[in-house]
Amino acid sequence: MSAKLFNLAEGVEGLFVKNDRFNTTLISYNFYLPLKKETVAPYALLPFILTSCGKDYPDFSKLNLKLAKLYGARLNASAEKYGDYQLLKMTISVINDRFSLDGESLVKSASQLLLNLIFSPNTEDGAFLTEDLEREKRKAIEHIKGEISEKRIYAKKRLIEEIYENSPYGIPKCGTVEDVEAITETSLYNAWIRMLESAFVRVQVVGSAVPAGLFEDITERFSVTERKNITDCKISEPTEKRNTVKRVTDNMDVTQGKLCLGFSAEMCGNDDTTLPLMVMTDIFGGGPYSKLFSNVREKMSLCYYCSASAVRQKGLITVESGIETENALKAEKEILNQLEAVKKGEFSDFEFQSSIKSISDSLNSYNDSQNSIDLWYAIKINNDSVYSPEDIAKKLKNITREDVVNTANGVTLNTVYKLLPEGAK
Amino acid sequence: MKKEFFESDIGESYVKATLDSGLQIFILEKPLYKSAYALFGTKYGSIDTAFSVDGVKTEVPEGIAHFLEHKLFESEDGDAFTKFAKTGAYANAFTSFDKTCYLFSCSDNFYENLDILLDFVQSPYFTKETVEKEQGIIGQEIRMYDDSPGWRVMFNMLMSMYHNHPVRIDIAGTVESIAKIDYNLLFRCYNTFYNPSNMFICIAGNVDTDTCLKQIGENIKPSKTIELTRITAEEPYNVVENYTEQALEVAQPMFCFGFKEEYKGEISLKEKIVTSLLLGIISGEASPLYRDLTNKGLINDEFDTEHFCGNGYSALLFEGESKDPKAVADAIKHEINRLKNEGIDRKLFSAVRAGMYGSAIRLFNNVESIAMQLTDCAMNGYGLFDEIKYLKSVTVEDVMKKLGSLDTENTVLSVINPK
Repeated sequence: MSAKLFNLAEGVEGLFVKNDRFNTTLISYNFYLPLKKETVAPYALLPFILTSCGKDYPDFSKLNLKLAKLYGARLNASAEKYGDYQLLKMTISVINDRFSLDGESLVKSASQLLLNLIFSPNTEDGAFLTEDLEREKRKAIEHIKGEISEKRIYAKKRLIEEIYENSPYGIPKCGTVEDVEAITETSLYNAWIRMLESAFVRVQVVGSAVPAGLFEDITERFSVTERKNITDCKISEPTEKRNTVKRVTDNMDVTQGKLCLGFSAEMCGNDDTTLPLMVMTDIFGGGPYSKLFSNVREKMSLCYYCSASAVRQKGLITVESGIETENALKAEKEILNQLEAVKKGEFSDFEFQSSIKSISDSLNSYNDSQNSIDLWYAIKINNDSVYSPEDIAKKLKNITREDVVNTANGVTLNTVYKLLPEGAK
Repeated sequence: MKKEFFESDIGESYVKATLDSGLQIFILEKPLYKSAYALFGTKYGSIDTAFSVDGVKTEVPEGIAHFLEHKLFESEDGDAFTKFAKTGAYANAFTSFDKTCYLFSCSDNFYENLDILLDFVQSPYFTKETVEKEQGIIGQEIRMYDDSPGWRVMFNMLMSMYHNHPVRIDIAGTVESIAKIDYNLLFRCYNTFYNPSNMFICIAGNVDTDTCLKQIGENIKPSKTIELTRITAEEPYNVVENYTEQALEVAQPMFCFGFKEEYKGEISLKEKIVTSLLLGIISGEASPLYRDLTNKGLINDEFDTEHFCGNGYSALLFEGESKDPKAVADAIKHEINRLKNEGIDRKLFSAVRAGMYGSAIRLFNNVESIAMQLTDCAMNGYGLFDEIKYLKSVTVEDVMKKLGSLDTENTVLSVINPK
């Protein structure tokens, strides 16, 4: 399997990952823009409104009918944070032509469909239509408000907001309810124009072949756009260290509590130089062999879940756990004890090797999933060369125990966030 | 060993083998893939609370199947997670209403992992102390679901739909029911349901079928075949109550609206396909109802439907978030009555059917999805390619007939309101 990079226009790349094992072809458009409070909400609404209707399909119901006829082609939209950048993603996945029962060229049709949706939205006189805007705004607001329903996800979101209270990464990925309410037909249109003019763009195809003419069509569409102030996706700002740990507690009418810890790591970036951070975080709180799972959850029964993960672009480690209120302090102390143990090199060869094997096994499975391949390459945009998951799996073997200990010693506690039942402290 | 080979014109094939002990094995090779997924399951889930073995009737507390799942990971020589950690595989297990499954996925060391799986599922090990400790852990897990609105809205609906069927009880049981579980009960259930004649193994990915079959054949422990009968509780036709609500920390109301169906014995694959088509026609994304509800601001992308069925139960569910769940429920009933009177739009029928055909093809992209689909085959006796075959022959008339059987009065609306 190989990944081939093409230059389609200024700041617009095409990437083809040839992979013959799938019954479907996946086409993904990725627009990268700086994460800013003023623009986050309109940008985040764009992938959703653009994939809900268009000039050719003014009624979203007709578009859904078309997708069903294309044998259930899947159109997806998302707006995520990628370090200090916003990543707007629109994808279409369709079964390959050989499965078509009526001989229609499904891949070509799906490819054209998404291209037209992105470049020819349903607008009039420099504005989106009120009906479409209001529908998508309502859904976005309901989604933001609905985050409170899943306490585990909500607690992590609150932790991130508190760690980065004054920096871009603390901005909610779709903005706040007020930000969404403020979007107008015209402001959204202007955001769409700015997205086409200034976003760094990566169009990725995962499948047997690039749909005929797709990359040429993209070049042509961008030829009528004045590309300027293109996002320079350089490395994001690392997570700052705090002299005094920040502590925040929210109370809600819940039966069980959540305890989340955020740590600053010295290592930061999205390439292979942060592999030690990956391994260290995994030994600390990754699989069932990890310090947090085997000790804090299993041996001490202090949490009913307890795990760590890293955001490598930001040099951030987070620990999430579910607790009984009376165990909150004890659990926090024990989580920190486990980190101390990693800092002192108090982990067995079994723990170290399990971690390397687990990460490497999972990297080697990436090529069996179209979505995983797409996500993998979509966050590799400012590297000199494009590494495959297997390349990284091979490099893992060079990581030593000393690398892990050194990385752990650069890790400091930044923020402690608790979500507790009413009245608890 | 009895071995059957199945092939489809979409370019996939698999083997179904049955050992003398009755264990069923399904293997689909994916030579172009790097990874593989294997699952060892038993037809034993949360609803199997009353049964008879060789004529002797037994009733057990709710939540035992799930309790056993937790305990099986422990062995005399260390827990299964530790063994999988040495190979790098991802391992897990789950219990549903009608089955318990143990699984792993990996890209390296497949046969070593298969050995671990075969060994730990067949080697129960628990002591009085470890059983007591697990009661505490599972008690916490049950309480965790008390805060989950998505879980509560579903089980509140089931409690209001079913009078007696055990599907109305949480898969993990209740804090009270699991307190009654002890060492002896666990062994009795293990010996009953973990008999090879009640079990299956499903494998998909980069494996060699003959090597797998040989390894499994050599490692299945000998056992005496037992005569197992599941006792299903008598369930009245009508629901318990039409409406139920609870207040939790949510931003806007969540709902689950269910149509209880008369259970007339095992549900065929054809009926399941017809029901899925019907759900797509009533309220799928391309349907007029979906458009109206969206335009009125009554549903969002969380809206979904499900044909919820198993041994002794069948229901059509409509779930989502809405500022006005009662208006959504009324609109669904109205649309069903409209379709009954006016008939089904043939263009919509064709589109929904094409969509389902595409999903059936898409499923073969992923080793986990294939293994899960093989699990359905093992549980229900279907062939893996039957869905694609039936989809080509199903007609609007089949769907109309199903539509006619829906009773718009025998429904439950479960709502979670914000506090």
